[in-house]
Amino acid sequence: MSYCVNCGVELDDTARFCPLCHTPVVNPNQPVNDALPTPFPEERGEVPPAAKREAAILLSAMLASAAVCCGVLNLFLHPSRMWSLYVIGAAVMLWIWLVPPLLDRGMHLLLRLMLDVGAVALYVFFISLDLNGWTWYAGLALPIILWGGSLVLLLGLLLRVNRRSLLTTVTILLGSLGAFLVGVEFFIDHWIARAWEPTWSIIVLAICAGLMIPLLVVRRVPALREEARRRFHL
Amino acid sequence: MAKDNKSGKPEWYPLDNAGVLYSAIQKERYSAIYRFSAVMEERVDSAALQRAVNRTMPRFPSFGVRIKKGAFWYYCEPNSSPGPFIREDISNPCQPVRFREDGGWLVRFYYYERRISIEVFHAISDGGGALVFFKTLLAVYLRELGYAVPNECGILDVDQPPKKEEREDAYARYAGKRVLRAPLGEKAYPNTGTPEPFYSLNVTMGFLPLDILKEKAKSYGVSITEYLTAVLMKVLVEKQHRERPRRERPVALAIPINLRAWFPSKTLRNFILTVRPCIDPSLGSYTFEEILSQVHHYLRLNINRQQMQAMLTGNVRFTTNKILRLIPVALKDPVMSLSYHLAGVRPYTGTYTNPGAFLVPQAMGRHIRRMEVILGQATLPRVHCASISYGNEMEITFAGTLKETDTERDFFRFLVREGIPVKVESNRTACSELMF
Ligand SMILES: [Zn+2]
Repeated sequence: MSYCVNCGVELDDTARFCPLCHTPVVNPNQPVNDALPTPFPEERGEVPPAAKREAAILLSAMLASAAVCCGVLNLFLHPSRMWSLYVIGAAVMLWIWLVPPLLDRGMHLLLRLMLDVGAVALYVFFISLDLNGWTWYAGLALPIILWGGSLVLLLGLLLRVNRRSLLTTVTILLGSLGAFLVGVEFFIDHWIARAWEPTWSIIVLAICAGLMIPLLVVRRVPALREEARRRFHL
Repeated sequence: MAKDNKSGKPEWYPLDNAGVLYSAIQKERYSAIYRFSAVMEERVDSAALQRAVNRTMPRFPSFGVRIKKGAFWYYCEPNSSPGPFIREDISNPCQPVRFREDGGWLVRFYYYERRISIEVFHAISDGGGALVFFKTLLAVYLRELGYAVPNECGILDVDQPPKKEEREDAYARYAGKRVLRAPLGEKAYPNTGTPEPFYSLNVTMGFLPLDILKEKAKSYGVSITEYLTAVLMKVLVEKQHRERPRRERPVALAIPINLRAWFPSKTLRNFILTVRPCIDPSLGSYTFEEILSQVHHYLRLNINRQQMQAMLTGNVRFTTNKILRLIPVALKDPVMSLSYHLAGVRPYTGTYTNPGAFLVPQAMGRHIRRMEVILGQATLPRVHCASISYGNEMEITFAGTLKETDTERDFFRFLVREGIPVKVESNRTACSELMF
């Protein structure tokens, strides 16, 4: 048997260090016995996140009843226009946003973001149905949503799957905002004039870049980074 | 209160006031759970253990329940899902329960090498009730292995039908007229540390020879529980002092008292109250002897039948209050969580529970090497302490979700300095990065 030289307590024959003070066990007369089973199992048990089935059902019921109520009301109030599609679409979008994550708590972030972007596309599609706007939907809205969605997916990958510091996060967010707006102007120009003449989005992009440069400098220079940490309690 | 079984429907019964509390503070990441383990002389025969569980569960209907959320209160009903099934043990015990998963079982069985463990959700039973259940299970297990074990020392006969008084709400039975409300304790030294990632529970056990410990306590003229309580408080007072806080807060422990010793009851459900011995270092420094004397006299003065009856009456009033009954449980839960935090967490530095000696018939004692107890995670990253004695061995466990080992280290070092040999085992396998 070995004792901790620090604490004076007897240790198990399988112990490599004292569990109280972490002093390694060095006993030339009796090396650590690996053949014996350890006093406690080494296999970890996982605690799966609990599914919030109740909340999911309640939320589904609320959204469904709001959608049905508006659908019925639409039959009597301004029946010439399908205005209830706006509410039903919003309900569907909210449902896709909120309910699947409640049912599957371990859902991967990227899958969730893809569903969310899909829901937005679906909602705008409902609106275009009412406005008879298949052309603008396919030509303008859908590309912008897909562009924004892919940026959000990229952000999710960059920021959530691999954790970043606050400075890096802000820098990346500014950069993607600029990129998104350049894309928006590209699609608008392409839709209206079939040619790309970037103007306002370039200004926004320049501002974003201007904001990013000091952040990048602070991030790169260790002394400045430490100073920022201290000042802002990062 | 249990409804009659004539209609063919399963009987349900409301939770007692302790059960209501533990269900209300139940969260996705926290449950009030404790574990008892028996380390046998032989490796565990898992098939025999499963048979023993299957034979024992019907005798203990208050353990074979699931908890359901009613509109206004939680209630228990017999669990008809398959199981409970024994499992191979894991390194991070006392995981939170889920009322709607795992078949809704609130008692779990594990085995590892020679160790048999049960984990119990505190809403269905306290340590006293769970030990009767565990002792009976161990007896049935040994019988399954072919040993003759008599039904003595509190082992229940599994061939008899369950008795109604074992399922009584003993709080309600002994509730009197006068209510004594303990004043809301002052905020105590929290003794929190760096939390481990979810879900980890660091367990450190110390094993002491009981005769030497008893001799030591006797030399101070106190009981073993009083002695160990004072050691823990001394260690915590010194730990706070070392941390040099702006203001030293009182060090107070929650000590659960088994009420069955004062109010005769056969109940296997909850029947405990806690008392709060407290040392205020802002009044001046205390020597170990002075702390010992404070603890000794506090416990002797405050643990009496009349005072405890008035305290439990107050708790029972809470569950029978007409106005409170009409508040939906969804609103009651957050209020109860908050009041639990204010009255049950904030005024305490930690918990120390000592269910006492585990007595078994001689025929059984030959097959059990030692007993262990673990109090599961606290609502804060702090350690809780629990102890149990068996034969000539006292087992003391510190368990918590924090990385630091200061409390248990100082505690066991104190005992070693007092001349009591300590053997330490732990489930910590990796040296923490918080090394000195
Ligand atoms: Zn040590």
